[in-house]
Amino acid sequence: MFEKSDEQLIEKALKGQKKAWFSLLKRYEKPVYHYGLRMTGNNADALDLMQDVFISVFRNLSSYRNEGSFKGWLFRIAHYRCIEFYRRKRPMQGLDDAPEIPCTAQPAEQLIENTQRNAQLVSAMQQLPLAQKSVVELKFFGHFTFEEIAQQTGMSVNTAKSRLYGALAKLKTLMEVDYVEL
Amino acid sequence: MSSYDNAELLALWLEDNLTPEQRNIFEQRCVQDDDFAQQVEAASTIKLHADGYQDFDVPQWDRDKTFDCQERANSQERGSGQERANSQERVDSRNPFGYSARRQRWAWLPSVSFTMSALAIVLVLTGTQVSLTSGELRIRFGHEQSQLAMSKLIDSKLDTFKQNQQEAFSLYAQTLQQQQLESASQLTNYLLTSSRKERREDFAELIKFVNQQRSDDQLFYARQLNQLQQDVYLDANGIKVDGTQQ
Repeated sequence: MFEKSDEQLIEKALKGQKKAWFSLLKRYEKPVYHYGLRMTGNNADALDLMQDVFISVFRNLSSYRNEGSFKGWLFRIAHYRCIEFYRRKRPMQGLDDAPEIPCTAQPAEQLIENTQRNAQLVSAMQQLPLAQKSVVELKFFGHFTFEEIAQQTGMSVNTAKSRLYGALAKLKTLMEVDYVEL
Repeated sequence: MSSYDNAELLALWLEDNLTPEQRNIFEQRCVQDDDFAQQVEAASTIKLHADGYQDFDVPQWDRDKTFDCQERANSQERGSGQERANSQERVDSRNPFGYSARRQRWAWLPSVSFTMSALAIVLVLTGTQVSLTSGELRIRFGHEQSQLAMSKLIDSKLDTFKQNQQEAFSLYAQTLQQQQLESASQLTNYLLTSSRKERREDFAELIKFVNQQRSDDQLFYARQLNQLQQDVYLDANGIKVDGTQQ
């Protein structure tokens, strides 16, 4: 059975075919959910963010012009929705500020029982500023190039590189601390 | 010292885009710069963690909401405004990149722009004319030109035509004059040349005639002299020479 391309599914979804939209949704819900999980560190927030992202995607599907990959476009939306999510949640916190209040909601680590490493990494990522966290997420988990990251996040390629460099030092320290605590 | 900074080198290494030269610099820096070496180690560790990240299935969620949301939003907008409290949220979710309030402020601009464009097209198609003469504003629809404008147009056209004709006429006259001058000079040249030739021929005839006359004269004189000589000899001897004395 041949799998339909993103473009074909989009075309059908735009014509109102629910099935095509759900196929597209199922194709990308997992990466978007895990993106949300790593970015928010919280299952409920990840689900909210995912729903928010897909609502935005559906409403703006007609404006997708097949320029670049659909995945890139989707994650660009996800990035901006994530920033908006953080603004709503913590309006006074800047993109480059470290999180002031530790997350008190149900931690993602409880859900991620498969490996201890998942929990350790997600926990460490939560302590990074949003700007650094999104670069780490898109680079290591999204496997995007720096140019794609720059396009998706609206920053320059050099800024993306230096943010990743800065984030790595922090992550290493944080993960070492976590490891000692564990 | 190489021109690559640590962040740049690390980025190239992560994307596996190092040239042999950059790879040498990278390896040297790993050996010489402890901080950089630690960064590379951290990147490797995180890459390893990320590659080993085991994602699990998405919990059950309401997928229908993403498909039906458009209609619901429309119906909410048609509604009387009971849910003004949620309006900001609705605006946000319509906006994929979350540009929120600041950019939403200019959301009216495209619709106004569209309306103005449509109005401009209508004005052009209906041939609307707005004129302000001595404090009187006139709006005219349709493509009919006013009498004044028409007469102005005709006058200007006539002027242009006249000007063109005058230019053409002067050019024609100039050309004709030049042509006449050329033909006159050609005729003069021809006449001069031909008269010279005729004169030369006439003179040649004359000289020929004179020469002939002179030779005739010489012959006549020679004969006369000869006669005279015989007469002189006859008188001197008193003898009539036969054949000579008649």
